[in-house]
Amino acid sequence: MKNSKGIIIPVTALIVIGIVMVYSSTALMSMGKYGNGFHFIWRHLFIIVIGFLTMFFLARVNYQKLMVFVIPLLVLSLALLILVFVPGIGVSAGGARRWIKLWPSTFQPSELAKITMVLFLADYMSRNASRMKSLRYGIIIPISVLIIFQGIILLQPDFGAAASLGILTITLLFIGGVRWNYIAGLALLSLPVIYKLVWSVSYRKDRILSFLDPWEDPLGKGFQLVQSFIAFGRGGLTGVGIGASKQKLFYLPELHTDFIFSLIGEETGIIGAAVVLCLFIWFFIKGIKIAQQTEDQFGYYLAIGLTMMIVNQALINFAVAVGAMPTKGLPLPFISYGGSAALINMAAVGILISILKSHGLQIANYNSWVRR
Amino acid sequence: MSYKRARKTDIRKLWDEEIIKSHDMNIRKRAAILTAIILFGFCVIFLRLVDLMVFKHETLIQKAQQQYQKVITLMPHRGMIWDRGMRELAINIETDSLYAVPSDVNDVNTLSKELAPLIRVSASRLISKLSSERKKSFVWLARKIDEETSLKVGSLKNKLKLKEIGLLTETKRYYPKGQLASHILGYTDIDNKGLEGVELRYDKYINGEKKNILITRDARGVNLSQGSEGDIPGNNLLLTIDEGLQNIVEREIEKAMETWRASAAVAIMMNPMTGEILAMANRPTYDPNSPAEADVHERRNRAVTDFYEPGSTFKVIAAAGVMDEGLVRLDEKFDVSKGFINVGGGKPIRDVHRYGVLSFKECVQKSSNVCLVQVGMRLGEKDFYKYVKKFGFGEKTGIDLPGEVNGFLRDPKNWSGRSLASLSIGQEIGVTPLQLLRAYSSIANGGNLMRPYIISEIISPSGEIVKRFTPAIERRVISEDTARVMRDILKTVVEVGGTAEKASIKGNLVAGKTGTAQIIDTKTGRYSSNDYVSSFVGFVPADNPRIALIVVIYKPRGATYGGVVAAPVFKNIVEHTLTYLNVPMDTEENYVILVSNPR
Repeated sequence: MKNSKGIIIPVTALIVIGIVMVYSSTALMSMGKYGNGFHFIWRHLFIIVIGFLTMFFLARVNYQKLMVFVIPLLVLSLALLILVFVPGIGVSAGGARRWIKLWPSTFQPSELAKITMVLFLADYMSRNASRMKSLRYGIIIPISVLIIFQGIILLQPDFGAAASLGILTITLLFIGGVRWNYIAGLALLSLPVIYKLVWSVSYRKDRILSFLDPWEDPLGKGFQLVQSFIAFGRGGLTGVGIGASKQKLFYLPELHTDFIFSLIGEETGIIGAAVVLCLFIWFFIKGIKIAQQTEDQFGYYLAIGLTMMIVNQALINFAVAVGAMPTKGLPLPFISYGGSAALINMAAVGILISILKSHGLQIANYNSWVRR
Repeated sequence: MSYKRARKTDIRKLWDEEIIKSHDMNIRKRAAILTAIILFGFCVIFLRLVDLMVFKHETLIQKAQQQYQKVITLMPHRGMIWDRGMRELAINIETDSLYAVPSDVNDVNTLSKELAPLIRVSASRLISKLSSERKKSFVWLARKIDEETSLKVGSLKNKLKLKEIGLLTETKRYYPKGQLASHILGYTDIDNKGLEGVELRYDKYINGEKKNILITRDARGVNLSQGSEGDIPGNNLLLTIDEGLQNIVEREIEKAMETWRASAAVAIMMNPMTGEILAMANRPTYDPNSPAEADVHERRNRAVTDFYEPGSTFKVIAAAGVMDEGLVRLDEKFDVSKGFINVGGGKPIRDVHRYGVLSFKECVQKSSNVCLVQVGMRLGEKDFYKYVKKFGFGEKTGIDLPGEVNGFLRDPKNWSGRSLASLSIGQEIGVTPLQLLRAYSSIANGGNLMRPYIISEIISPSGEIVKRFTPAIERRVISEDTARVMRDILKTVVEVGGTAEKASIKGNLVAGKTGTAQIIDTKTGRYSSNDYVSSFVGFVPADNPRIALIVVIYKPRGATYGGVVAAPVFKNIVEHTLTYLNVPMDTEENYVILVSNPR
């Protein structure tokens, strides 16, 4: 595939690191729960394979055709988000209903909502490029769509997903040319809402407070964060060695999903963590380049949107792990165990490759490429 | 142009430079700004990683160690306690203790409800304990549980796959002979710390080095590695006690308690030549394996902690003093025909029986109060007090047992006009059974006051002798001649004019003295008319004493006289003891009669 190495290499590297770390983090837990160490890793590998198939399929599809699916996808996402609340279909865990049953595992519709939002915004902004300055087209319409999604997601409740969807939307609107003062105004308006949402729910409040000073209650509210710090601290320069983590034995909850970066830090040290950071930077820069070299607006916005969807989430995950952001349950793209996100992220990479392949093609050639 | 129309017409919409420029900022520039922000974000993350992983490396490693491992200190193996024949009196047995890791407990209520009946505590107490110690990584739930409970807890742990509780082996002090010698041995607390008896007195010797156990946590919950680090067992104690003699003594005073429905009883047996305690028994008693179940008065070692008014047994002090000072001849006559003697203030002192004229020897033999008051007065306050002190009254004997008291002895400055007379016949003084036995032992051994002791050797775990205790003479009390004469007197007391034929011993000469003293009623401050202390103290064989023995029976019912209550106990103990010790009989045919004057 033409020029697509630049994106496939970092993604594949991250996925390989992910496989190793998911195995390292789940083997013992899986042993204890299911009697064999491979329960999680087989599921993870299964998703990776499906993900690669999806990726290569989408890479061969003309991304422009995706425009057609924007409205059906919006409807599907909303439907699935609502299905979460239907008993028998929705799955609840830890007091939240975020998943729907899907053999062999579960699916998280908020992940689908994310990529749908990206597709919608790319399509919408490319069609209304000249009107993005206006309040109505630049803010009211897209934000209305966002609020519908966020509203349902908050009912699950999944504050993290709603917030990251919001950040992603604002980022894309910024790229789409919405006026600075509108964005600033929007941020100001959303502050009291965020405040209300956070401060009215005790566990969210606790998370903010423990983020501000995790050592105040290192065995209670600050436990997760403190344990994450200890994992990084133990890692030092070169790490304790893959598989040799002690933090994973007992201390770091949600290790294979939200705090897998801490495990990477502990087992491979700052060197390993830096490699992961660099791979994401590589991916990010490549994603932006793909966007910039794309000759049509839909492709431009789509490439930036998909790149940002992944990079935003990675940055939030890192920030949470190192205590630069309040704890939120977001997996690390390509690395964490977590079916839905892994699948969606790899689909996004497939679309990015498709955009990349369109570079330099005249319309005539392009159509022939599409037909191929 | 509506959204719908655009959809149909433009499949591929190329960039329109005008649109790009029409925005308040070039769209491509916005992408550059975004890139900068994101890269800045990555930089912040990296710097934070450097902070955590390089600069805070050491501190965080320490924190990690703290939570992976916890050192708990288990009490060490205590040394054993043996009798003089190295028979075990106190040993250690391994028992399980139940602990919990409260921070790992998910469901406090369920766990507590399951566990509580097994370890016999209330579920609510367990819940509050686990909740209040929630942040701790280790807490004892039940220490030193029995084997059955341990098995039940173990199977519950397996059944429910409980990782947050576990069993840890600890050593528990065990007294295989139960109540035997309990007042000597004492007992320990749950942490194996000595609380009474030699367990307390020699705690620092028999308590080994503390043992540190490192708890390491792992994925399956908690694993305890029981390192043997620092596990140095304590030294062993070799007592002077003879288990066989102790058994005899305990059995006999137990019988006496029943027979006389007494409130308490004490018997001490001593080697009068050396001061070694061979047996020391108290009733009531307790089982040191479960000291908490016993009452305080059952755990008291009355032999050293309680003093009583000795009565007639104390008369030998005045007699020995006046002899030793050479103020009397053995055959000197004392007129006691009046049957009473007036003393300074208060009622005159009377004899129980009227005697005519008694020789000095007969005075002691008959235990005549009137005569002994005269003897005491002849000695005078100063010298009498000197002999009382020399015989070791009013001061601790220095035995290696905790809680010993001085007894009660007033300084002559505070004596009333009656005091000298009272003291001569064993009143106005409080003595411990051990003090009195030691005084008699000095008569038995030729005049030396010995320091009584109960530990003969402290032996290290490897068998080396850490400390050896040897007989120690405190001081010479009376001359050897006086001692010999006193022995003869005590012997003749026994030989002639016997009123206690049932107290006779076959084959060996006994020297001894009975005592019956009234007890001062604490309510009225006067002598009680019902409550007596009956005692007998003596040694055998009289000419070459092997043992000295005192028997004290508190508040006997049905009879009060020492000759009736205490003398038979003395006789029984001595008979069994002489058999046990294989002491050759002085003569096959010689029946020695213990004579006991009621007073």
